[in-house]
Amino acid sequence: MGEAVKQGRTIVIDPVTRIEGHSKITLHLDEDGAVEEARFHVTQFRGFEKFCEGRPFYEMPSLMARICGICPVSHLIASAKACDALLAVTIPPTAEKLRRIFGLAQVVQSHALSLFHLSSPDLLLGMDADPAKSNLFGVAEENPELARDGIRLRQFGQEIIERLGGKRIHPAWIVPGGVSEPLTEVNRDAILSAIPDALGIVERTLEWFKGRMENFREEIASFGNFPTMFMGIVKQDNGLTFYDGKIRIIDAAGKVVADALDPKRYFDYIGEKVEPWSYMKSTYYKPVGFPDGIYRVGPLARLNVADRCGTPRADQELAEFHELQRTAVLSSFHYHHARLVEMLYCVERMEQLLNDSEILSQRVRAVARPNALEGVGACEAPRGTLFHHYKIDEQGLIRWCNLVIATGHNNLAMNRSILQVAKHFVRGNHLTPGMLNRVEAVIRTYDPCLSCSTHALGEMALRIELLSPSGELLDEVARG
Amino acid sequence: MPRVLIVAYGNPLRSDDGVGWVVADELHRRLASPEVEVVRLQQLLPEVAESVSRVETAIFVDASRDGDPGDIRCQPVAAPPARIQFSHQLSPAEVLGLASQLYGATPQALCVTLAGECFEHGEGLSEKVAARLPLLAAAAEQLTKKILAGPLASSLPSQEDEAAS
Repeated sequence: MGEAVKQGRTIVIDPVTRIEGHSKITLHLDEDGAVEEARFHVTQFRGFEKFCEGRPFYEMPSLMARICGICPVSHLIASAKACDALLAVTIPPTAEKLRRIFGLAQVVQSHALSLFHLSSPDLLLGMDADPAKSNLFGVAEENPELARDGIRLRQFGQEIIERLGGKRIHPAWIVPGGVSEPLTEVNRDAILSAIPDALGIVERTLEWFKGRMENFREEIASFGNFPTMFMGIVKQDNGLTFYDGKIRIIDAAGKVVADALDPKRYFDYIGEKVEPWSYMKSTYYKPVGFPDGIYRVGPLARLNVADRCGTPRADQELAEFHELQRTAVLSSFHYHHARLVEMLYCVERMEQLLNDSEILSQRVRAVARPNALEGVGACEAPRGTLFHHYKIDEQGLIRWCNLVIATGHNNLAMNRSILQVAKHFVRGNHLTPGMLNRVEAVIRTYDPCLSCSTHALGEMALRIELLSPSGELLDEVARG
Repeated sequence: MPRVLIVAYGNPLRSDDGVGWVVADELHRRLASPEVEVVRLQQLLPEVAESVSRVETAIFVDASRDGDPGDIRCQPVAAPPARIQFSHQLSPAEVLGLASQLYGATPQALCVTLAGECFEHGEGLSEKVAARLPLLAAAAEQLTKKILAGPLASSLPSQEDEAAS
């Protein structure tokens, strides 16, 4: 757990632990010590949107993959799709299937990292466990099979990425127009042979998780359990997908708010707002406005907006998941459950794709010069919907770039979730590690990737506040 | 099945922090053998514990912030500390601890480090580190060959700073 410091009427948890990136949380207390406001501050800063200006467009997939060491494949896919649009090509069907497998493998390894390595200490040992033991070593001591399963499942995803892309981190195999190399028979067979083991791990972890849910009634009731909209890409038949499709938005009651939205026109319906206390932008649904246009993305949202998965076991689990609530499933605690259902789908879907009769085809890349000056690529990253939008000049150099990142979509919901958890569990006059761990744990349900979401440069406002020991604002310097 | 696993780790975009990767390339060339596996990683993750559990000896190669720039050290890796705040990056000792806890494996392990001078953004090594690179590669190579040739215990240093500095 991060260190908690009480400064007057403000509690600062810095850093937030067991998440991807650097951040802090401030809780503002009233005179009786009750929480009245909470904020999630993203304190790291990247700037990718700015420094890629002037680079040749074909460098973008490799450059963008550097945004993140956990989900580089999603950035590769979204970037390559934006470049496909600049080339105005339809990529070969086998290339598309290979890209899909690549993306699914990454979802498995990323979800496994989140669930097993970062959140399983809370799920296994409880929210009030000794902070010194609330880590992977504590899990290894209490339930070594669970810890081994987490390691094996991440290896499974990483090994597929390595077999297809040549390396585990920042592979450059996905290129504008397709992929650089076809899949070999040896690699296909090796991946297929590992699938039963991976399926077994996900199946038993799902059963284990469902058996634990009874212990977290209070957390389910208070971890981001409030009405919002949910957004995700779905296939034409409203099935789960990570690669391509249409944008679907539903409300908290589960009713469709917007359907068949074109991801390439994201700017028509998604607004981005800069807050003075964070380097991460907040997005909102434009027709409703800010902040009421709050929505969530990622595993919970994808399962809420999807009618089916399209693979046998995942479809069974999705039906059970939808039974959790008559409306949309609202509690962010269920992100964990959704992650497991998605991993099941990913492994099953990879098997389907690897058994496709065309999967070893040598025709995997369309070659063309730029035929358009603007392109948008979208996909579902592990943490939610990802958009890459580029404008180039006649020489093919990037003139403008906008990235809308999954974690940014969830920013409003994460802040509201922290407030809900803090109001429910934290009493400023008697802090306990369990209280503060819950404040961090609700953030972990979203699995935020802060490296991905702090890329804007030159538009971020900044505010420095000087607080008295009693929490009064003594001075303030603001920019932007 | 490899008997020795060389884990070179660091960030090659952070100047001297990438020294492990440069050495790994050299060792991969010099020690080409089914008995030796060389891997390059940005950081030590729990998965490394499984790999380490399958070998007799693990050698971790890394840049260090301790010591004068260019200092080369070779230390046995000790048991893990009692209290670990894991995010998702481990130390060699923690990797060993997990290998023991999860897989019942207790391989011998060494950490070979070269003290860096510059850890800022950049792909090149500082002059001092680059000048010591051949010595680091030679030390790791000799150590590996000794391990492969002789009884394990006698080939491992018992105290810090075994390699020339």
